[in-house]
Amino acid sequence: MTKTADNVNPDIYDKGSEREITSSDYDENIEDLFDEREIFDLIRNINDPEHPLTLEELRVVEESNIKVDNIKNLVHVSFTPTIPHCSMATLIGLSIRVQLLRALPARFKVEVEITPGSHASEYAVNKQLADKERVAAALENNNLLQIINQCIA
Amino acid sequence: MESVWFKPELSDAIMQNDEIFESTTSIVTDIVAEHIDLSHIIENMGAVLTHKETEKRCRGMKFYTKILRELPKSILSETQIQFISTFYIGRLNDHHSIIPSVIEGYLALIDMNNYKANNSANFLATLFREVSCQSQLRQDRYNIYLVIQKLMEKDIDYCKQLGPDLVCGMVSIMDGERDPRNLIFLFNFLPKFIKTIPIGHLTEEMFDVISCYYPIDFHPSPDDPAAVTRDDLAKALCPCLCAIPEFGEQCLIMLMEKLDSSLRLAKLDSLALLVESCKTFKSETYCPFSKALWSSINRDINHKTDDEIKMASHEALSALVAKLALIANTDQSFENLVKSILIANQTAIAEAKTVAQFVQPTKVLLTTANASKESCVVITRCMVPATISYYEFKTSPKLQIASLDFLGDLYDIVKHWDVLELVKAQVNEIPKLCLTTVSNPAKDFQIAGFKTLIRVKDILRSDLILPFVEILTHNAQHSQDTDVLSISVETIHAIAKKYPELIMNLVVRGNCQISNLTQDKVALQKRLHLLTNLASIDDFTKVIIEDILRLISTFEKGTNLVVEALSDSLSIASFYTSEKVMQIESDHGLIEPVLAWLYKEIPSGNQDTLAHGYTLVSNTISSLPAEKQQNILSQHTQKVLDNCQVNDVYFLVLESLYSPLHQNVYTSKFEEVLILSIKVALNSQKELVRTKGCVLIAHMLNKVEHGQKFELLYELLKNQLSECSKHDESLCPRLIQMYGWITKALILRGSDMYLFWLQKIVGIMPNTSYSKYSAEAIRIIMTEFSDYLSPKLHCRISLLYRQRMFLSFSLLVDKFGALSPDVKEDYLLSWAYVLDKTPKTVLSSEGVKITSIVVDSLEYQNEELLIVSLNTLSHLIKSQPLISCSLQTVLPRLINLTKYTKSMDVRIKSLECLYDIANTFRTSLLLPFKQDVLLDLAPSLDDKKRLVRNAAVRARTRWFLVGAPGEDKAN
Repeated sequence: MTKTADNVNPDIYDKGSEREITSSDYDENIEDLFDEREIFDLIRNINDPEHPLTLEELRVVEESNIKVDNIKNLVHVSFTPTIPHCSMATLIGLSIRVQLLRALPARFKVEVEITPGSHASEYAVNKQLADKERVAAALENNNLLQIINQCIA
Repeated sequence: MESVWFKPELSDAIMQNDEIFESTTSIVTDIVAEHIDLSHIIENMGAVLTHKETEKRCRGMKFYTKILRELPKSILSETQIQFISTFYIGRLNDHHSIIPSVIEGYLALIDMNNYKANNSANFLATLFREVSCQSQLRQDRYNIYLVIQKLMEKDIDYCKQLGPDLVCGMVSIMDGERDPRNLIFLFNFLPKFIKTIPIGHLTEEMFDVISCYYPIDFHPSPDDPAAVTRDDLAKALCPCLCAIPEFGEQCLIMLMEKLDSSLRLAKLDSLALLVESCKTFKSETYCPFSKALWSSINRDINHKTDDEIKMASHEALSALVAKLALIANTDQSFENLVKSILIANQTAIAEAKTVAQFVQPTKVLLTTANASKESCVVITRCMVPATISYYEFKTSPKLQIASLDFLGDLYDIVKHWDVLELVKAQVNEIPKLCLTTVSNPAKDFQIAGFKTLIRVKDILRSDLILPFVEILTHNAQHSQDTDVLSISVETIHAIAKKYPELIMNLVVRGNCQISNLTQDKVALQKRLHLLTNLASIDDFTKVIIEDILRLISTFEKGTNLVVEALSDSLSIASFYTSEKVMQIESDHGLIEPVLAWLYKEIPSGNQDTLAHGYTLVSNTISSLPAEKQQNILSQHTQKVLDNCQVNDVYFLVLESLYSPLHQNVYTSKFEEVLILSIKVALNSQKELVRTKGCVLIAHMLNKVEHGQKFELLYELLKNQLSECSKHDESLCPRLIQMYGWITKALILRGSDMYLFWLQKIVGIMPNTSYSKYSAEAIRIIMTEFSDYLSPKLHCRISLLYRQRMFLSFSLLVDKFGALSPDVKEDYLLSWAYVLDKTPKTVLSSEGVKITSIVVDSLEYQNEELLIVSLNTLSHLIKSQPLISCSLQTVLPRLINLTKYTKSMDVRIKSLECLYDIANTFRTSLLLPFKQDVLLDLAPSLDDKKRLVRNAAVRARTRWFLVGAPGEDKAN
């Protein structure tokens, strides 16, 4: 692939620390609910398709952009492409979606969207990501699946 | 019959049959035995050596050479050698097919003791003139190189005389060599050649002929048995290129060209060459290139992903700076270089937004500072003020902490070069910055600030101590965080070493006074911890220990805390060496008051408090030399023994006195103590006392001297046990426990007698009512206790005792037939204890057997058993996917365990095993199970514990990749 990256020199940020493990985490009798941090931990280490960096280091995903509702079984993730014309936005969104599909219990309804106002074709990308059929079809494509698997691994 | 070589027919024989070549050894024997002279043989060979047909002459020369090679080295005289040499030189003009044996023969000739180097001038001249080395075979080329090497070894002075002729010849024969083995030989030989033989006007030619190989680009054929690797060649070539200072300019020009190459290997080689060249080239050589070199290095040193290039660049930079520093006083280039390094990296630091971006340039600066004294001074003068202002300017805590670490590193280098005086003004600011940092109560700042302060404690001025001590004493008494607490104590300790008087006044006599027993128990505990810690410093020992002992003797209310703190600190070997403890004991008498306190407390006190007292006594005694131990025993034993008759709780005191003895201590009381131990171990109502009884028996058995004393105690033990064991069924569990301890003591001692006791333990395993006790005994044998049978208590620990245990145990249980289901669980549990502690390498060699045991264990519900089995399983999976055959048994059991409700550890471990399986097994074996596993793992994603969910996510996402495009696995 000879195409150069869309954003050659992105801003890089520090990685946050690992989640601290408290004594209640080891207590069998306490039930831990899903929280924003846990969802964030699932997707923070996804690799960017263009750079050897994680989505966290590029601040594509942030803990504050995640919402979890344990009772209504809802997870909402919004991500922020590094530049408004990023052609990888769909791919990043798809990676996040696939990772959450694999890692979250089936009871959750997962929504992945672009942070409002951060991308030129926000509406189109959101629509694509919300369409189950199209996501499933994308995963039938071996080339695409390979790239996504490499991003997630 | 006379052999053929005594006759002129020898020539015909050589020409006609091959067998004659076999008889050279007999010829040599005849020559050595002086039956015939070499000249006769040569005469007899005359016809073949001068034969018209090339092929025949060739055979003749081969034969001649073979004789020469087999002759003893001392047999030929100087004249003979000269004669042969002249003959061989003549042969060099002959047909090309003869040349190989000529060279080989000459090689043998050089090896002769009487060979004189002046014969070689002619040979070499003819060789260089007549023979084209490039058209010879590999082995013959090698022989030619060998001739030159041997000549140099023979007479180096003569070779030097040959000078340019030899060099010119060398250049011409090695030109174009391309066989890797020959090249390795040449590269190893050349540095010596170049360094000893004056090269003169041929420098350029010589360098060209070597440098044409640079950088080495070579891929050995994969089925070469003795392959020469690219790295071997590159390593060997490097010293040739910088063998003499005269190569300097050419070498550097070439090096810079390759540094800018896009080929990774060329870069690595050039960086290594730069390092190597600094050993021989003159500093002045680098001056004109320093700027260009730095810009090349600067580019590579900031490489984003390739750590190897980064490391090599750091090394090269360090070498370059050190080299130029040698002429720092006479030339500008050193200053310029350091300046450009500073400018480049200061910019990078100023732009840094993440810690990684900050650390990168600071590392370059540290490398530069580390390279030489001069650069260290320049960098420190410039960077310390810069970093301090950077700290105040940037608001990100992580960057602030990173900059503090950088200052600490820089200070270490300043200390290393011993240039503190030159940069005093600058580095003196560092402690002030530490103070600013620790004024922030956040945990990270406290830890970073104090850590740096400990590093720079030597330049801490006394006027700063008061504010530091304020914060520190507050931390040490009130901090909730263990890390902050321990770093604070450590800092006070460090400062106290430098300013004992100040700390004495401010802390010990000041706001941390010991007699001030406040109501707040936790704060008091922490304060005592600090004080006992400080007491390890000589200046404080007297004051603090005396205070403490006075407190202990008063039996006031808080004394249990005092004993606890003292016992905790005393067991930290880094503060209290055994010499220190010994000194405290002899100066202040520690044991007396503590024992008195124990006697006082035993009737009333609770076990936890007393335990600290016992530990304190035992720790103190273990640090004393043998004769002091003996003294203490003779003073106290009788009183304790008397007390034991009344109440067996006093046995704990006895145990703390007798357990830590040296191996050579033995008193007349030993037998009495042993009998008492057996008695309490079997009959006491208190479990702790029973255990301690067993422990003391084990200690005595383990430590007593070999021979008579051991026999005595061992017999005594056996007699005692044989008397009591038959009385009572209820004693059985206690007996089995004791057998466990006895086995442990003996196996640690390296004595074979442990087998007898182990047999007893294993023998009772099939019995339903006792199987769980024998499993418990196995646990005792395998577990390593820090307080019992440890080296600190002077116990014998034989090497490899776990392996022995593993072997004996597996032999013994092999004799079992089918076990009843009731005891199967305990049987597997004993195995689990053994497997858990046996070194993993042993397990790997017994893989098949162990796998079946482990897989069997997974069916039970016993948590302990499951955890150990899963651990062992995970090791087996990672080391050798042996159990592939049983995947269809293992996977359902593991999946079943992911729903094990009683323990999250079991759930997590089984999920980890599933992950490991997906990671190590061949894809073809895994694929049939993939869909089932993915479905079965889904419920674990909704586990109520987050840690389990994390493990489940890891395992499930890994299984998704099995056989999918983009999976990063070889098979």
